[in-house]
Amino acid sequence: MRILLVEDDDLIGLGVEAGLRQAGFAVDWARDGRAANLALTTTTYALVVLDLGLPKMPGIELLKWLRSCGKDVPVLVLSARGTVADRVGGLECGADDYLGKPFDLTELIARCRALLRRSQGRSAEVIRYRDLTVDPAARTALRCDVRVQLTAREWAVLVQLLTHQGVPQSRSRLEESLYGWQEEIESNAVEVHVSNLRKKLGTDLIRTVRGIGYVVEKA
Amino acid sequence: MPASIRRHLMLLVFASIALVWGIALLSSFRHATHEVEEWEDARLAEFAQTLTLLDQNDLTVLSKTHIDARDEYSRAGSNGADDDDDKLPRDMLFQVRDAHGRILASSPDLMPLGAWDPPSELPPQSQGGAHTITLGGRVAGQPAGQPPAGQPPAGQPIKQPWHTYTLYDGASGRTVRVLEPANTRSDLATGAARRISEPIAFALPILALLVWVSIGHSFRPLRLLSKVIHAREINQLEPIDMGRSPSEVRPLIDAINHLLSRLRQSIVRERTFTADAAHELKTPLAAIKVQAQVALAAQDTLQQRLAMERVVQGVDRSARLAEQLLLLARLDEHDRMPGSVLALDGLARDVIAANEEQAQRRGIGIALVGDARFEIVAEPVLVNILLDNLIDNALKYCDSGDRVEVEIRRNNVRAAQTVVLTVRDNGPGVGIEEQRRLTDRFFRGTGTSSTGSGLGLSIVARIVEYFGASLSFGAGIEGRGLAVEIAFPCSASD
Repeated sequence: MRILLVEDDDLIGLGVEAGLRQAGFAVDWARDGRAANLALTTTTYALVVLDLGLPKMPGIELLKWLRSCGKDVPVLVLSARGTVADRVGGLECGADDYLGKPFDLTELIARCRALLRRSQGRSAEVIRYRDLTVDPAARTALRCDVRVQLTAREWAVLVQLLTHQGVPQSRSRLEESLYGWQEEIESNAVEVHVSNLRKKLGTDLIRTVRGIGYVVEKA
Repeated sequence: MPASIRRHLMLLVFASIALVWGIALLSSFRHATHEVEEWEDARLAEFAQTLTLLDQNDLTVLSKTHIDARDEYSRAGSNGADDDDDKLPRDMLFQVRDAHGRILASSPDLMPLGAWDPPSELPPQSQGGAHTITLGGRVAGQPAGQPPAGQPPAGQPIKQPWHTYTLYDGASGRTVRVLEPANTRSDLATGAARRISEPIAFALPILALLVWVSIGHSFRPLRLLSKVIHAREINQLEPIDMGRSPSEVRPLIDAINHLLSRLRQSIVRERTFTADAAHELKTPLAAIKVQAQVALAAQDTLQQRLAMERVVQGVDRSARLAEQLLLLARLDEHDRMPGSVLALDGLARDVIAANEEQAQRRGIGIALVGDARFEIVAEPVLVNILLDNLIDNALKYCDSGDRVEVEIRRNNVRAAQTVVLTVRDNGPGVGIEEQRRLTDRFFRGTGTSSTGSGLGLSIVARIVEYFGASLSFGAGIEGRGLAVEIAFPCSASD
């Protein structure tokens, strides 16, 4: 699950980035509005965490631009200006949630999960698929009530496919959800992760769509 | 007792009335006295005229008669006032001489008065006329019985003014002298004065009341104004509107409104500053919290250690911010501080030395241009803060390979000498649009990832204001980067 973090403050940025990574997300960090703009035009993100006080392009402008070009990626706004008017202003410009500084890192992560869940049309955190029970927050996967150990990458591919049931995910799309900007992409990594998942969770779970990628069929 | 305009006005009005009244009284009294004298003189002249025509027998008879020349007789039933000489009998005396100076007839009372002979300064042949002379005493037997109060008993000679009229009649050759005691306390004069003063005396209390009330009424706009101001809440700072107010009160209202508007602006500034300060303090706090939570959740010790180091960085940043806010608040408290003569070049060298390490670490060159000695009158601690902020700012926005120059020079602008301190760099610079906002509190240049508080140049601007110096921005070294120029007024000794 790839998240774009837009934050100009070094210390906050480093902290949020580390926190989101710890929670299992791939994080790209843009330090100003223009960099964020560029990132959003080239990459598909599951979520944007946006600080409003940005140099070069104010956060609110970025948000308006994002909505005006029809991108419906969920946006969580961070701001030190926590008055009701500020919150309302932010939400009306297209933000999905608002968090005032200083915030709690665990709350930020929980809200990110909630936004992702809603954007995927789920109401419960836990995903049930045939004999599988997958809990992205707790990072546990059960097959017939037996816990299956998964690596972080396998986990990311599984969640990406399960949250987009019936929609084939291309190799590059899956790679995007696996790696942040700084991380080296290993060749054949996706194939390796998919074959591992098939071994652990059953061969019929993930179907290969020739020339496109992989899909988990609708339950 | 506090000073009162109303009392003061009352006093002035009444003093003026009393003065005018007194002058009117005095002049009318004098006028009336003069009239009485003229009238009595006319009577004397008339009597003298008669004497020129009387024959020897009549003159002899007349000389033995008391001629009562009182001005007024008491009316029946009314008691004459004791102080009114008009009603006292006054003997008219006369002496008639022929052309040879022989006395034809004379009132015998002239002798005891010492007025038997005409005064030497009056030549007998002269046309004569009316005079007032002082003779020693009242005619014997007059006043009979009770002498007027304040006068010595009868018989003793008393000095008293007499009116005298001398007439030389060319046809008969007679010289006639007529004398009459002057009516010094004529009721005619005092009466006229009283008639003028009495209505005013009666009118005075009414006048006082009217003046008091009208002055009070005139002060109504002032009372209304104080009521309006009194009724205001502490945060009610909109201008006072009293509709139409008198031109004397208008300046007061204008001045109060001006003060209110300045107060309003200052409060708005204060509120903005507080809000901004709170906002700015939240950012490092958020960083500290996030990093602390990362440290708590971190699995490996390296990551934990890194996060804890960042917590410390965040705390340092908050502390510096708090320090700057305190400095600004302290600067805002005072208008101006007394300074001492100090060497600006020496201070600049010290601050450059203190920042040398940071500059070297980041590969930025820093140098003082010129080596002359420049003295300014200022407060050394504040100048130090100013220099440190300017140099730190320049270093912060420069990249490796850039350089920072500090230059001090003398400048003569329109006879006024200034010492100009310039800190310039060849870093990324600041656009004209942004230059105007540089001294705004919490403003940070947009093209930067520096972690300043945005208060540095606000502090510089405030300190510059302190010393009555001026601050300007321009292009830096070789047209690149930013130059900050501060012109200090020269010390008197230069």
